Amino acid sequence: MAVAAWAVAASAGAAPSVSRHVQVELVPEVESIRPGQPFNVGLLLRMDPEWHTYWKNPGDSGLPTRLTWTLPEGFQAGPIAWPLPGTFTQGPVTSYGYAKEVLLAVAITPPPSIAAGTSVTLAARADWLECRDVCLPGRRDLSLVLPVKSETPRPSAQWAPTFAAARARVPQPATGWTFEAQENAGRIVLDMHPPRTQPAIRRAYFFAERGGVIDHAATQAFSHVVASYRLEMMPAPNAARLRALEGVLLTDGAGGPKAVRVDVKTKEKP
Amino acid sequence: MIRVHPLVPAALAAVLSVSSAQAAAVVGQPAPDFSAPDTTGATRSLSAYKGKFVVLEWVNFECPFVGKHYGSGHMQKLQKDYTGKGVVWLSVNSSTAGSQGYYASDKVNALMKQKGAAPTAYLLDTAGTIGRAYGAKTTPHMFIVDPKGTLIYAGGIDDTPSTDQADIATAKNFVSTALDEALAGKPVTTASSQAYGCSVKY
Repeated sequence: MAVAAWAVAASAGAAPSVSRHVQVELVPEVESIRPGQPFNVGLLLRMDPEWHTYWKNPGDSGLPTRLTWTLPEGFQAGPIAWPLPGTFTQGPVTSYGYAKEVLLAVAITPPPSIAAGTSVTLAARADWLECRDVCLPGRRDLSLVLPVKSETPRPSAQWAPTFAAARARVPQPATGWTFEAQENAGRIVLDMHPPRTQPAIRRAYFFAERGGVIDHAATQAFSHVVASYRLEMMPAPNAARLRALEGVLLTDGAGGPKAVRVDVKTKEKP
Repeated sequence: MIRVHPLVPAALAAVLSVSSAQAAAVVGQPAPDFSAPDTTGATRSLSAYKGKFVVLEWVNFECPFVGKHYGSGHMQKLQKDYTGKGVVWLSVNSSTAGSQGYYASDKVNALMKQKGAAPTAYLLDTAGTIGRAYGAKTTPHMFIVDPKGTLIYAGGIDDTPSTDQADIATAKNFVSTALDEALAGKPVTTASSQAYGCSVKY
């Protein structure tokens, strides 16, 4: 998984009404759409140097970027495919998000009833928070017009590579892995058993996808016994007792960096 | 200054070295005592308010989340309503000198007058000592201490993370709910929540 291959030069953008440091655009992966066939569009955010926007769990501060769709009748928008975020640390405050550039892709499913030879307008309001050491809210109404054709959609020459790069950064299902989570002696313990084909893991970090579960700023202690691995995390201050651990596990080692989805209920105490 | 980890793989090491022996105030435990100057030059100590409910409100007038609650008059109304009921309300600014939201006392007093802010006092926690003791992460970040000195609420001002004033009308306000319950002698139903806002500028 080419997690490290996404750095793209940031470019300063035209200033929308509130935001001053992020340029946003709604872009398609395809040149045209076909009745009933899902396709991807995405919100492309380009941050000025030193500025960042946020992941689905912004961490200790910030706000997740949001898309509110206005679609033609019968169209359905899926959730954002969030690429792996980075961490931003300011004293005891740790946040999760994106610098430089990020594409937040969304699958759109059109109804089978739309007619070839017409075109559709997809509209979305984007809301985000952009921060350096200071923060500004951003909001922009965006739209995209795509032709409807009966032929197989061609990839967009301009944007398909950006979608491919973003997809490579989206955490994968943890196929072949098993996880166990428990809260023990004031620690949240995640035991990880990768598939046998997994090369040795030397480091790991867990991004909780909801706030109020782990202490984002605290060190995560990594250890292993042969091919079983353990992460010990501090719970968030005043957190409710852990019931499930959901988020993204980032590992690194002989196989290079890899990000997989974790969704595990806690073990009941005997 | 903010530290940015530009992600994997080099960032893994950096991510793993993010260290923190960060204390945080724990609901149900004694609230950490403190002593700090306010904008009138007086020294304010938590222990001096034994016998009263005390609200701690982390503030930075330049933060858009704080702007949401002051621009709408919402925070000022909470301050007036509850100090009118005998509650002590301390606004705390932990911005380090020179960072966003840090002002000398005269400027803070002028801004508070202009905004109609009505806390009992505005504390200058320039070294971040109180902020770190409580684990204050955001502006706003809210804490409530009961008359015995026990922390009874820690978290966000309400349940709707946004910078939009229009959301205040439909949000569930955790602070007023907790204060109303506690002032009526009832247990606080929501004693902690995830705070939202700008980072505290330590």
